[in-house]
Amino acid sequence: MRMMEERMTYRTASLVAYVAFFALLMVLPFFLNSFWTNRMATYLVYSICALGISMSWGYAGILSLGQGLFFGMGAYMLAMSLTLADPGNNPVPELMLLNMEPDAVRDLCCVTTGSFLWIPFRWVIVGILAGILVPCILAAVIGYVMFKRRTTGVYVSIITLAFALIGQLLIINNQPLTGGFNGLASLASLEIFGFEFDPYGPSIYYLVTLTLLAVILLARYLLSGRVGQVLKAIREDEARARYLGYDVENYKLFIFCVSAGVAGLAGMLFTLTSEFAAPSLMATSFSISMVIWAATGGRASLLGACIGALLVNFIGSLASESATFQPVWPIILGGLFVFVVLVMPNGIAGIFKDFFDRRSAPRTVEGR
Amino acid sequence: MLMTAIDGKQVVQPLSPPILRTRNLTVRFDEFPAVHGVNLDVADGELRVVIGANGAGKSTLLDLLCGKTLPSEGEVWLRDENITSIGEAAIARSGIGRKFQTPTVFKEMTVLENLQVASNRRVRVFENLFQRISARANDKEVAVAERTGLLDSLNRKASELSHGQLQWLELAMVLSQEPKIILLDEPAAGMTAAETDKTAGLLLDLAGDHTVLVIEHDMAFVRQICRTITVMHQGSVLAEGTAEEIEHNPAVIEAYLGSATLSHA
Repeated sequence: MRMMEERMTYRTASLVAYVAFFALLMVLPFFLNSFWTNRMATYLVYSICALGISMSWGYAGILSLGQGLFFGMGAYMLAMSLTLADPGNNPVPELMLLNMEPDAVRDLCCVTTGSFLWIPFRWVIVGILAGILVPCILAAVIGYVMFKRRTTGVYVSIITLAFALIGQLLIINNQPLTGGFNGLASLASLEIFGFEFDPYGPSIYYLVTLTLLAVILLARYLLSGRVGQVLKAIREDEARARYLGYDVENYKLFIFCVSAGVAGLAGMLFTLTSEFAAPSLMATSFSISMVIWAATGGRASLLGACIGALLVNFIGSLASESATFQPVWPIILGGLFVFVVLVMPNGIAGIFKDFFDRRSAPRTVEGR
Repeated sequence: MLMTAIDGKQVVQPLSPPILRTRNLTVRFDEFPAVHGVNLDVADGELRVVIGANGAGKSTLLDLLCGKTLPSEGEVWLRDENITSIGEAAIARSGIGRKFQTPTVFKEMTVLENLQVASNRRVRVFENLFQRISARANDKEVAVAERTGLLDSLNRKASELSHGQLQWLELAMVLSQEPKIILLDEPAAGMTAAETDKTAGLLLDLAGDHTVLVIEHDMAFVRQICRTITVMHQGSVLAEGTAEEIEHNPAVIEAYLGSATLSHA
């Protein structure tokens, strides 16, 4: 009975942490100038990204080093729609004019090879839906190949990393279609039902915050239920889960796709806060950074992963303003990862949980 | 029980139609036949013990039955269903539960969570999407925990349990699956004398409702649960019969260089 009470204390403390975190986020813009509102919105986008990592890595043990691929795809999908929404890109995007054959027809159907693929993106809703669905489908294909062949552990990391690199190369090399190395940068603001989201105003900040809240609530619902329990079991002992009758591959595939969808959603929001999409989003270093955020905050904790992303990026941006720290920031970041993995494998959230476990431990013994 | 010798192969007449049959079950690892031409008929509700020296192919036989290893030749039938190579998960769903020699449980989860994962009969992702989990054990989980002496440990993490308790937990998980056939690989390994007695009692209790196939090294334990024994030698079935018959079987005695060795087999 006492143990139950202690459990409640930890649960209550978690609830308090959640409420405090989101309450703080809601009032934050009142104290920030437009530059910092935009910065914070971008960091919250990274938090959503870290959430996706926490779902697949923390709960199911699938360490994807290719989240950048899904993030980037999400960013590109919405960026394509926003490119077409910009009056300067009418009737065809400027990037295509720069790359077309001299005698090509100036129409999306055929101005450059494959430009017809852009046609559906005239409707912003297509861009938004594709921003989630395309990463999901991509993850389903990659995941199917990996998991059906029972690829696990570090090999999953290597394969996903390779796919991100392939994605990056494909985008860079197909300049007439994708804008190549420069990406998509002349974007209109997102307009929904006549309301225009201003990247530097509070509107996008709140859009990101509420999306984060929605994703975290959905993830909690999903992972605290049966699916989460089975995923945890798979993380602990995959073979045992199989001998209990679970099709392990399907569970992994499911969470991998959900995680990719979340990354895609984050990518779209990134396009809104940063007003560009570029191949650099699919760079290896960016994908690895995402893992560091989640690890620092605590990969097995959704809120922890969010806070980790905020904290690392906030400190990173302070460092980038200092002439001393700016050049060594990547080294600090790498060192942080090594430190976290060796000293606090469950991150900041782990310290929080240990504190409560230690308080309840002696009583548990006594109660038994 | 009738034992007849046909060309050196002993066959036990089954009591009722066999629930589990293997036909010419063979697996070769780099041309080495670990299990060779095994024809096994296990009756519904039977408690069958498989003995044999190290390397006789006992564990490999269980691996073949539960899908861990794919056979090079031969078939496994569960009643009238051919379950050869349908995959571990599908085999488990068709009603075969396996307990391993070294306890395999979900270490970072509580005993109750382990049982919940095991007893859940909905195995598909989308069936489980909206399934919530109770923080308390239901009647079935309490019953299985009581049967295996884990009732006081329901909220403990599996990693905090003793080795003996881990064995019990894995057994409890297999029972939660409600399998038709239970495969046990040395269930008494690492247990104290008292725990071994309890295990023997439980196995006798399970037989009848379930069909139980046990691999065992310890002849004292085998005599305790003494039913039909299958002796394996160099990948093949050498003999089948009661403990008495086996201990006086010349082929077995020869293979083990005297019954004294068999006691330690």
